[in-house]
Amino acid sequence: MTLAELEFQLKKTGIFLQTGSFITHLQTSIPGVAEGIGLLYADYPLLEQTDFTDFHVSLAYPRTLRRWFKPQVLFLFDGKPPFKPLPLDQAFPMFEWGLNWCVSSHANHCLIIHAAVVEKGGYAAILPAPPGSGKSTLCAALVNRGWRLLSDELALVRVSDGLIIPLPRPVSLKNASIDVIRHYEPEATLSRRISDTMKGTVAHMKVPADSIARAAETARPAWVIFPKYQAGAATRLEALPRARAFMRVADNAFNYSLLGVRGFETMAGLIDASLCYDFTYSVLDEAIETFAELKPPVSLM
Amino acid sequence: MTPPLVLQAFRQPGALTALSLADWDLLLRQARRSNLLARLYALLDERGLLEQVPQKPRQHLEWAHAIADRHLQAVQREVGLIRKAVAKAGVPVILLKGAAYAMAKLPPAQGRIFSDIDIMVPKESINAVEAALMLHGWAATHHDSYDQRYYRTWMHELPPMRHVKRSTVIDVHHAILPETASIRPDPGKLRAAACLLEGYDDLRVFAPVDLVLHSATHLFHDGELENGLRDLVDIDGLLRHFGRLPTFWPELVGRAQELELTRPLFYALRYAAQMLHTPIPPETMEAAGAGRPGWPVMTLMDGLFGRALLPDHPSCSGSLTGTARWMLYVRANWLRMPPLLLARHLFHKAFISPKAE
Amino acid sequence: MSGQALHIRVWEDEFIVYGSLSGNTHLLGPVAAHVLSRLQEAPSDAATLAESLPPLLQANFDGELVPEIEHLLADLGSLELIERA
Repeated sequence: MTLAELEFQLKKTGIFLQTGSFITHLQTSIPGVAEGIGLLYADYPLLEQTDFTDFHVSLAYPRTLRRWFKPQVLFLFDGKPPFKPLPLDQAFPMFEWGLNWCVSSHANHCLIIHAAVVEKGGYAAILPAPPGSGKSTLCAALVNRGWRLLSDELALVRVSDGLIIPLPRPVSLKNASIDVIRHYEPEATLSRRISDTMKGTVAHMKVPADSIARAAETARPAWVIFPKYQAGAATRLEALPRARAFMRVADNAFNYSLLGVRGFETMAGLIDASLCYDFTYSVLDEAIETFAELKPPVSLM
Repeated sequence: MTPPLVLQAFRQPGALTALSLADWDLLLRQARRSNLLARLYALLDERGLLEQVPQKPRQHLEWAHAIADRHLQAVQREVGLIRKAVAKAGVPVILLKGAAYAMAKLPPAQGRIFSDIDIMVPKESINAVEAALMLHGWAATHHDSYDQRYYRTWMHELPPMRHVKRSTVIDVHHAILPETASIRPDPGKLRAAACLLEGYDDLRVFAPVDLVLHSATHLFHDGELENGLRDLVDIDGLLRHFGRLPTFWPELVGRAQELELTRPLFYALRYAAQMLHTPIPPETMEAAGAGRPGWPVMTLMDGLFGRALLPDHPSCSGSLTGTARWMLYVRANWLRMPPLLLARHLFHKAFISPKAE
Repeated sequence: MSGQALHIRVWEDEFIVYGSLSGNTHLLGPVAAHVLSRLQEAPSDAATLAESLPPLLQANFDGELVPEIEHLLADLGSLELIERA
């Protein structure tokens, strides 16, 4: 599909995007969204038409006079805006943030943790972290060095069996990390930079095709690692007492409290299955080496 | 025009199993917009039909159920704490609205998300109840002396009180309508007929007929229409539930006359029957006609309610649009608060160790 | 506590407790966990609980044991993990 065709379809009937196990219907006439979609979602299954859609979303102009002197964009979930409008040139990042909101505020069959997840050999490393910890930078580097991307923002731990469901979507890079990744992996596809967003300057990195192709393959949790980027710091992986890890992961979960005792059981299962660490780094190559040496936990079963 | 799917669902839950995936897509959108997703889950669950719902839509219903379930738990706990707080005051407490449905396990309890607990106490005890609550951590939310006076002088309740630690809100009423309202159902009569909650000797809920009348008053007198269809489904649920009691239908209209609530009852029965096909005995319908307004008003109301009670979804033609409803939607708390903050806020942490770290 | 189900997980010498009544989760040290599990078996008082503490845990305290346990009970009460008579 050419960019013009994509733009036309987005405007007319919208497109049906399959990301992980969710189907999203996106409709918009805002220019610039097609550019981001065309660049970063080219490898995703694009459904012609589907009977059932999880999230009906659109990006639209707010109906106010403001449109004429300072254009804005609204994210609409089935016609209603969960957030305030943003400046128009942030339409594509807003789509990404909006889709995160759709998943994190609905998918209660999973314990949803604000974390990046990568996988190798069937074992998943969960990287929960507050913004600014370098989680996404590390995640982007890992997926360019042989790890499969399960998710950059939302770790979905299925309540019924404790396995992690992939949700591979573009990796969100902020400020300095955009250039860090550009230099680290010149082959990586990055979207146009958007500056002055609430998160600073942002760009999104395209997900390796293999991670998208394997989006139905669940993974077993093996490591919970709290990354911390610290300029000039030596690479350091320190064991973290599991009970402390439990509290810190819960603090980064969207629906731990909502799931009640099921949240507690799922979290306990995750912590039981995982080796937990604090990880400080400043050099990406060294960080990748540390990850390459991770040994999965010895199962007592 | 075929009625919206969400209406058909509550009229004939059994027919839901025949829906196509595309129908489910539309039904869930209408139900979500009307805050009826969890209610739909309960409707199917009661009839053992969940298994027959295709996997994808069933998952959406389960998502909504998880929220409703947790909410119900939180309400039960909060009522327990309120009960403890006012126990010493020795005042008879009646639970109202959502809290009453939840504690009495009535049909509307399923999937009703609300933020305030409403209770009713005798007017002369209201200061004692306020003092007891303050002693247990609830504090006034309206500090402005004008607001305080407004509530105390004109309203049928204290200014809402919020618990300092849990941030939960309680509304303490002494009547169901403001002192200034054109109709004033006698709170003494409502209290006298109230029933003990099963398993408690100090908590009450309104008698069945009064529960229906209160619900009807809330929707059709107060004009609280933002959850119009949900509230009508509540009334439908109560009527179907209590309709099985032998005394319910014969008492209903007489009680409405006694409490000056014949108009809201008339509307409630009319629109429940029209929109949700609630089974109502013809003689009750006829007797309730005493509350019917004159024909110009009736025509106007049919038009207004007919639209306002539909889901505010583009698929329901004739639904109310415009800024009013849009604003209400944006105002809703669960959208305003970023999920992460909400999780933090609910996640109470404490570390206890005799040794300081 | 009536209607309360406590869910407990132990890792090393730390405990995670989920109280079904409040829906809150707490991280407890070994002394608090010991006291809590004792109270789950039967109601007790600070003096008895202090006496029941294994010597290894008693070493955690420098001063008088009973007031410390009293203090701990107050904390556990405010977290709605126990009910005080």
